[in-house]
Amino acid sequence: MTFNAEEIYQIASTIWEATIGLQIQPDSQDALASIGNRPRSTAACIQITGAWNGAILLDCPVEFARKAASIMFSCDVASVTTADLQDAVAELVNMIGGNFKALLPETCFLSLPAAVEGGDYSTRIPGSTMLGRVPLSCEGIAMSISVLEKTQERTIAA
Amino acid sequence: MSQNIAPPPTIDSKFILPFMNATRNVFHKMAGVATTIGKPYLKTDAANTACEVCGIIGFTGQITGSVMISFSESAAQKLVEAFAGVKLAITDPDFADAVGELANMVAGSAKKDLGALASISVPSVVIGKGYIVAMNRNVPCLVIPCSSPLGDFAVEVSIKRNPGD
Repeated sequence: MTFNAEEIYQIASTIWEATIGLQIQPDSQDALASIGNRPRSTAACIQITGAWNGAILLDCPVEFARKAASIMFSCDVASVTTADLQDAVAELVNMIGGNFKALLPETCFLSLPAAVEGGDYSTRIPGSTMLGRVPLSCEGIAMSISVLEKTQERTIAA
Repeated sequence: MSQNIAPPPTIDSKFILPFMNATRNVFHKMAGVATTIGKPYLKTDAANTACEVCGIIGFTGQITGSVMISFSESAAQKLVEAFAGVKLAITDPDFADAVGELANMVAGSAKKDLGALASISVPSVVIGKGYIVAMNRNVPCLVIPCSSPLGDFAVEVSIKRNPGD
């Protein structure tokens, strides 16, 4: 498939406004470096199988996830739990995956999302190549959406 | 006054045995490691412990959900070395590939015995310290504790059969 950053931005923009009432803007590629430098961050991943195989990964700082959760679950930011913020980013990536699936050839299936929260971790999707990573900004907080496509099987060198 | 109390989450017991067998077989055949399977238990938020290396595989089709294999860093390094036949640094991309491949093999092997049409996704591998992985809270998660001479690990099964399938 052909990666189109504008389509990803449009999908995210619609979801952000509809579900948490926040606007996002495209950000520069330089902003991507700052996402990993935050003290704590969250990542949510949803996988797609079928006519197209790959994954969508949402990376964002914890402060955004906390804010999104407080809006989504109508609670105070201070009372948001780790489980709440993981649920919030999982729900966002689930909706991104659902909209992205509409751009894919028939028939594709979404897995259930998984979310990670922590201070010092890296996420990899082995056996896939990065089609593109879209940097976004929401209320001055940098985040990104990555699209990864499954590639040929790789053999681990022995 | 009636109260809406959600029933406790349940998981189909037919889903568990295939993962136990697959784990035992994959680690025995592919890494030459004998694995002892402990008593499975239902994961709760309170038991959401931080892990250091984990491989996550998604299921789609008649069954949806995720399966995660989580290791301590030390156990992952030893088991990956046994699997790959070479010592790999945790920062080496091949290390993550090996963890993903182990998760893929366990999920793929179990899938055959689940009695449903399902596809497995590409694996996601998370490596680090002090992070917590959450799978969908609407699907119960059963933890299968595993021990081996090279270190302990756990297989977390969080899958459900889709209604109507």
